[in-house]
Amino acid sequence: MKIRTLFAGAAAAAAVLAMGAAGTAEAQFKLKGDPRVAFVYFASKNDGGWTQAIDEARIRTEKALGWKIPYAERVPEKASAIRPVVERFISRGFNVINGSAFGYSDTFLELSKEYPDIAFVNPAGITNGPNLQSYYGRTYESQYLCGMVAGAMTKSNKLGFVAAHPLGLVTWTVNAYAMGAQAVNPKATVNVVYTGSWNDPVKERATALALIERGVDVIGQHVDTPAVQVAAQEKGVWGTGHHRDMREFAPKATLCSSVWVWDRFLIPLYKQIASGSWKTKPYGEFVGLGHGGTDIACCNEIVPKAVVDKVMAARQRIVDGWHVYTGPIVDNKGKEVVAAGKTPSDADLWGMKYLVKGVIGQL
Amino acid sequence: MIEFLANWLAFTPVFAVPLLLATLGLIVNERAGVINLGAEGMMLCGALAGVACYIEFGESTAVGMTAAAFAGLLIAFLFAFVVVVLRADQVVTGITIVFFGAGLTGLIGLRWNDTAIAGFQKLDLGFLSQIPFFGKVVFAQDAMVYLTVPIAFGVWYFLFRTRAGLNLRAVGENPQAADAAGIAVDFYRFWAVAAGGALCGLAGGYLALAAAKIWVNEMTHGRGWIAIALVIFARWMPGRAVFGAILFGGIEALIPRIFAAGWPVPQYFLQMTPFLATLGVLVWVGLAGKRRSAAPGALGLPYVREDRW
Repeated sequence: MKIRTLFAGAAAAAAVLAMGAAGTAEAQFKLKGDPRVAFVYFASKNDGGWTQAIDEARIRTEKALGWKIPYAERVPEKASAIRPVVERFISRGFNVINGSAFGYSDTFLELSKEYPDIAFVNPAGITNGPNLQSYYGRTYESQYLCGMVAGAMTKSNKLGFVAAHPLGLVTWTVNAYAMGAQAVNPKATVNVVYTGSWNDPVKERATALALIERGVDVIGQHVDTPAVQVAAQEKGVWGTGHHRDMREFAPKATLCSSVWVWDRFLIPLYKQIASGSWKTKPYGEFVGLGHGGTDIACCNEIVPKAVVDKVMAARQRIVDGWHVYTGPIVDNKGKEVVAAGKTPSDADLWGMKYLVKGVIGQL
Repeated sequence: MIEFLANWLAFTPVFAVPLLLATLGLIVNERAGVINLGAEGMMLCGALAGVACYIEFGESTAVGMTAAAFAGLLIAFLFAFVVVVLRADQVVTGITIVFFGAGLTGLIGLRWNDTAIAGFQKLDLGFLSQIPFFGKVVFAQDAMVYLTVPIAFGVWYFLFRTRAGLNLRAVGENPQAADAAGIAVDFYRFWAVAAGGALCGLAGGYLALAAAKIWVNEMTHGRGWIAIALVIFARWMPGRAVFGAILFGGIEALIPRIFAAGWPVPQYFLQMTPFLATLGVLVWVGLAGKRRSAAPGALGLPYVREDRW
């Protein structure tokens, strides 16, 4: 339920990003003393998805930097709950507060104004300031790579995709999945089904089974639970996961997963904060594969090495700056949506309202 | 097309059975005059208990479902104590039970979160399952689907063919008269709530062990509320509840199939059809123009002897 609000807000971020023309200057921030980081989670740290991925990044960061990073979990997305937790951390000497949810945006903005000496960072947030930075990942990059794996492995050329809501940040993963699949298999189609919910395992399972009945043999997902992967394994077909490496739940079925690797983004960020070179961006950090945030967990051993090599080569191209949404891109009604050689702006991505060629479904 | 139809109908019980079990439970509740809005919370407790005991005690669906019923029963005892013994407001208490169930299961469910289970398996009834079309739709379901038929019949038989059932309905219709006739009003109400809770627990257990095959926080997603509307649709009759549950289960099973078939239907419209159907049902019941409402006369009213209302 909470994750829904978390991402629904990211759609609102589209509006914020669209206003980017005004262009505020980047703000410099100087931390007093050594950085001491603390995390605040809106859900439980082992929710199996979004929050657990953040917690895993926290643990990897602890190891890499040799710091002790405490956390508070199950702090609901309302000021009356967030405030006392954050203020207790601050009074204990913590000066870098890491959030976990869109729903923290407003409270973090208020707190960042009240505590100008403290650094605030918040994934999936939409507020920014001189000492507050929101960040999210370019999940279409990792889902493009998952689409390549799916396109290479399918025998029926029919791929499925179980998606939550038709928001820009979900639709960009669906389209990227289809484009990745078609890059290696021009005959591949992607049948997308929206469940209207982030974490309803009953609907996700029913949807996966319905897709399998239609001859789909690889199912991608942008929903929270592993129900799709489990159903795929039961029926002897394949799937690709989201949030975390879902081989944990379906070792035979899950070919690869689009995963969060926040530590790769956060460790350099903390170092910048420590050295005093941190500059917040007025419209938040939108982190690509090359800078951490999101990546592909590749691959199940059933995926041939030739396919893995191809995927890794594409990954390198993305890291080197190639945009997944480089035109020409035609939507599934035949209309050109990105002109040849052009790439959409970030605002266009957040507001994406089309499905590309080869995607079967409705927005 | 025939295959589409067979697949759709064969999948309908997965959605219909939890709705039917919860609706039957709520009918027993409401026939005794207690309105139970806590179905969602009781189903959540049943779902978690079902998955947890399934995993911890030998992966047996029988153990899981028994635990689910007991979990529903325990929460129902709490609910019954508050509304029957202490005579608190039933609506407020019911809604409290929803949040209580969600919070409690969220807290103790962490250990079993996101653990995939095998759960209920479809039965293979030999040559019966091989019959074209009907074999797949009727003779290849899981054990709980078949068990739900006698449960539904049992609820009807108890309510309308036994002395205890008559007493229970009398308590719900007119507790003063029932009391004067020597029927123990609180006793009937207490155990009606308990039985209803056990059925809601079973509904949750089935949802987790067959429909989702996994435990996730707040996984009932409003299905308890649909059951509450189905009680009105069924006009408090178990037979009609079977029909309503199949209708609503059928709609839920159809939605992903329409998308998977790639038919160009606006998805927002399809996603709202169960709720549109609920609304339609309420309008139809209102317009059907029955002389008096089918609702039990004392529904939602705490009974205090010597107290006039």
